[in-house]
Amino acid sequence: MTEPAPPLAPPPPPSPPPGLGELFRGMLQVALSSFGGGLSAWSQRIVVEQRRWLDNEAFMTGLTVARLFPGPNQINMAVYIGSRFHGLSGALVALAGMLLLPFAVLMLLGLAYFELHMVMAVDPVLSGVIAASAGMALSMGFKLAGGYSRDPVALLLAAGSFLAMTVFHVRLIPLVLIAGPLAMAWYWPRQR
Amino acid sequence: MSGSAALVQGAVQACMPLQLGDWRSLLAVIGDFLSLSLFSFGGGNTLLSEYHHLAVEEYCWLSSRQFADLYAIAEAAPGPSSMIVGLLGMGAAVREGPLWGVLSGLAAEVAILLPSTLVMVAASLSWSRLRDSPWRLAFERGLGPITLGILFAVGLKILRISDHDTPAYAVSALVCLLMLRTRISPLWFMAVAGLLGALGLVNR
Repeated sequence: MTEPAPPLAPPPPPSPPPGLGELFRGMLQVALSSFGGGLSAWSQRIVVEQRRWLDNEAFMTGLTVARLFPGPNQINMAVYIGSRFHGLSGALVALAGMLLLPFAVLMLLGLAYFELHMVMAVDPVLSGVIAASAGMALSMGFKLAGGYSRDPVALLLAAGSFLAMTVFHVRLIPLVLIAGPLAMAWYWPRQR
Repeated sequence: MSGSAALVQGAVQACMPLQLGDWRSLLAVIGDFLSLSLFSFGGGNTLLSEYHHLAVEEYCWLSSRQFADLYAIAEAAPGPSSMIVGLLGMGAAVREGPLWGVLSGLAAEVAILLPSTLVMVAASLSWSRLRDSPWRLAFERGLGPITLGILFAVGLKILRISDHDTPAYAVSALVCLLMLRTRISPLWFMAVAGLLGALGLVNR
């Protein structure tokens, strides 16, 4: 019923760095295991505990980097793991391993949607799924909001970005290009 | 007469799907995705309203309703939900045939992932030097609140385009609450909500 929670094991000794083929198979295994959800937990279980490519600390560092830089977190995590061992080619191989199957499934679903005109038959089901996914989309903001409740400047920045997009229809790229440097200047580390 | 004809044509043109056979418009679309890739902070979901703008308003590949359908499919399908870009790319070209649909989907997915991947490779390899840099600290703290505002705007946008009846809004609100308070897999929410939809209890 819940996502697979990784058991807390003592840090295992790292094994020798994986070759490209091994990297591909490992990420394929992560993708296959996570078909029911919980991609992050599965990737930790497989990469840290089973295959021992990274210790837990290196894995956590990877999550930080993945969250910090642009790109979907899980995909960035695969890039981090791959590039650690084989640079750009490792990153691309890890990405391919992680995305090949889900992407193929998605393309089949897309073709069924567009080509077979199954829309009429599944439309009521889809209405329900959309209601659930809209709730999930809404939860993303709330998930982050708690961390900023005591920082009036952060709340002002958040409210400003929200209003710029919803009321004034500012596009994302100009918004980030204008608000980003202002926010960075305000939060530039100062000796106090 | 010619005036009203031009008006009608203008109205039609306002939602003419882009001809992807024209390589210049194809490059324009690929360029849009390549540049958006570098702005996908906060896990990539921040781009959803940009995707909606491109696919529905600017290039008219999809209706708003289709966009909501594809978002739900991408969320329910295995793998990272940001793969919705592959479905949007497919929607852009699928009228030319299924093969073009798949190729276009693949091209869109590669375009949205490639720039962020290159940045991520560079970041992974130079992290030890970046770790304590003031740029990194300012970037992390400064981009956080902006991401927060964008995520709320995106959530509202998805809620708006999903065009619910009242019970469906209640489902959305409940799912939002459960996502925050429990560790239940989102797949269960989808399954139960899908069943409610099949039974005709939630509609749009």
